[in-house]
Amino acid sequence: MLVINENKIADFLKALEKEYKVYDNRQHPPYGGLTAKKYFFPPVEETFVSEKKGSLKTTKFAEKFVVFGLSIPQLEALTYLDEIMTKPAEDFFYWQRRGNSIVVGLIKEEPDALPGGDIVFVDLGDGNFKILKNTEKGEELIKKYKSYFAEVADAPSKVTDPGMSEWSKTMRDILLDAELLANAVEWSKNHKIWEEMATTCLGCGVCTYVCPICHCFSVEDKIDLTGKCSRCRKWDACTLPDFAKIAGGHDFRPTIKERYYNWFYHKFVRGYKEYGKPQCVGCGHCKKYCPASIDILEILKTILGDYKKSQIQI
Amino acid sequence: MTKPKVAIYDFTDCEGCEVKLVSLRERLLLLENKIDIVNWRLGQERFDAGPYDVTIIEGTPITDYEVDLLKDLRKNSKVLIALGACAALAGVPGIMPEKDRKFWYEKIYTAQYRPRGVDAVPLSAYVPIDFAIHGCPVDEDEVVKAMEELLSGKTPTYSGNSTCFDCKQAGNKCRIRDEEKPCLGPITQAGCKAICVTGGSPCYGCFGIRKEANISALIKKLKTITDEKTIERYLTMFHSRTKEVNDGKK
Repeated sequence: MLVINENKIADFLKALEKEYKVYDNRQHPPYGGLTAKKYFFPPVEETFVSEKKGSLKTTKFAEKFVVFGLSIPQLEALTYLDEIMTKPAEDFFYWQRRGNSIVVGLIKEEPDALPGGDIVFVDLGDGNFKILKNTEKGEELIKKYKSYFAEVADAPSKVTDPGMSEWSKTMRDILLDAELLANAVEWSKNHKIWEEMATTCLGCGVCTYVCPICHCFSVEDKIDLTGKCSRCRKWDACTLPDFAKIAGGHDFRPTIKERYYNWFYHKFVRGYKEYGKPQCVGCGHCKKYCPASIDILEILKTILGDYKKSQIQI
Repeated sequence: MTKPKVAIYDFTDCEGCEVKLVSLRERLLLLENKIDIVNWRLGQERFDAGPYDVTIIEGTPITDYEVDLLKDLRKNSKVLIALGACAALAGVPGIMPEKDRKFWYEKIYTAQYRPRGVDAVPLSAYVPIDFAIHGCPVDEDEVVKAMEELLSGKTPTYSGNSTCFDCKQAGNKCRIRDEEKPCLGPITQAGCKAICVTGGSPCYGCFGIRKEANISALIKKLKTITDEKTIERYLTMFHSRTKEVNDGKK
């Protein structure tokens, strides 16, 4: 098997810097909880520019870059985001960045199926990382930089702790039964827990900013002082007040209770209906960064418990 | 097309937001190509009388003279804009409750002092305003944005995002979650680029309370990390006269 020694990773990344911009995701957090989605779908992104009448230019992005060090949930999230940005229509701006990028995972346990990324480094616990190649792009990169890698005899991993929190493990177990989860969350619309959330949730939108899958955005146009017109898209959050507002001022979700429930609905019900799986990978970011300390696992446990009880009564 | 006539006035304040206008530098020159600044005490020697298309007012109306001038400017302006926290929120002058003014006047300036100040409340307490450019001081980009929107015939709009959005982009740790320190970021409007938190200070909400923010929920959360006196100090730094905040405390 092909491996890289832990002492060579830094040199490998340094060598990559000659050809690519390298974002090392291990240095976490230098960026306040924002996940790797920001490299492909920036918080604010210019999409079109018109400098004079009749001309309209699409903003091009040509920089080649490597995102290094994504965990299993982060890789899974990116794979999901790729799907969302492909179906039903391909998102040009996402893919012009995504197409320019090489994603390298760094995980502690060899998975049954690769969670995503172009290359995955699996920690063997003996100072070496096993190299798994997922795409042609990844394979080419390894070939080009082969001096950093070595061929060794197959050996089982010595890693005992896969480095996933108990919270994530429990959450990921719950996510496995996507249909039950979707039914329960849909059923819970009038559950009293959403009333409680209305007095707890600050409506600040942090959960969606730090979520590796949340992808809703709003579009803003402006004309600057030189007469240049531009259109940009900017992350939006369904817990914010303008999100479901339409022309004339009507708001489909006028209270935090409805907005917060909608976040759950999109993640666990619509995600299941549209893509067959919930839009959550159990990374725990929303729990970690919520200023109000809301724990979505606790909410889901309550809903699932009550849903199961309600089903028995019938 | 004739250029819109713009007047810039200041009431009681530190004039820091007007310095921010000057520090637009090249962009102020670009702006001058599109507008005609016909009255600006701090910036030029031309003081044309109204009516004006746009009047930008910095500072808190505190004396009777300032209150009368404000009412007059409202009548003479198509668009009236509050510039900075003092004009938009009553700001620092508003920290002191009206009932305590007499006590502090005597303590600070002695009993001989004859105060001219009536009270410190935002412009909107006396006249309707069309837009507020928030901040203590204002952010240059926010000023330009409001001007660009007005010049392109739009009504300027407030950002629905929270300061947390800026803070996350700036790569900051969360004061509330990572440091267990109070912060008003989650209920405050974005636009400041999280300059205070980035520099190690709390957010006191100078960018104005975000639309439909859950103030009472933030107070509930802050009570788990600090005492009520500290929370009150945070909420009165800029918002002792903000209705939503006072309602949220109840």
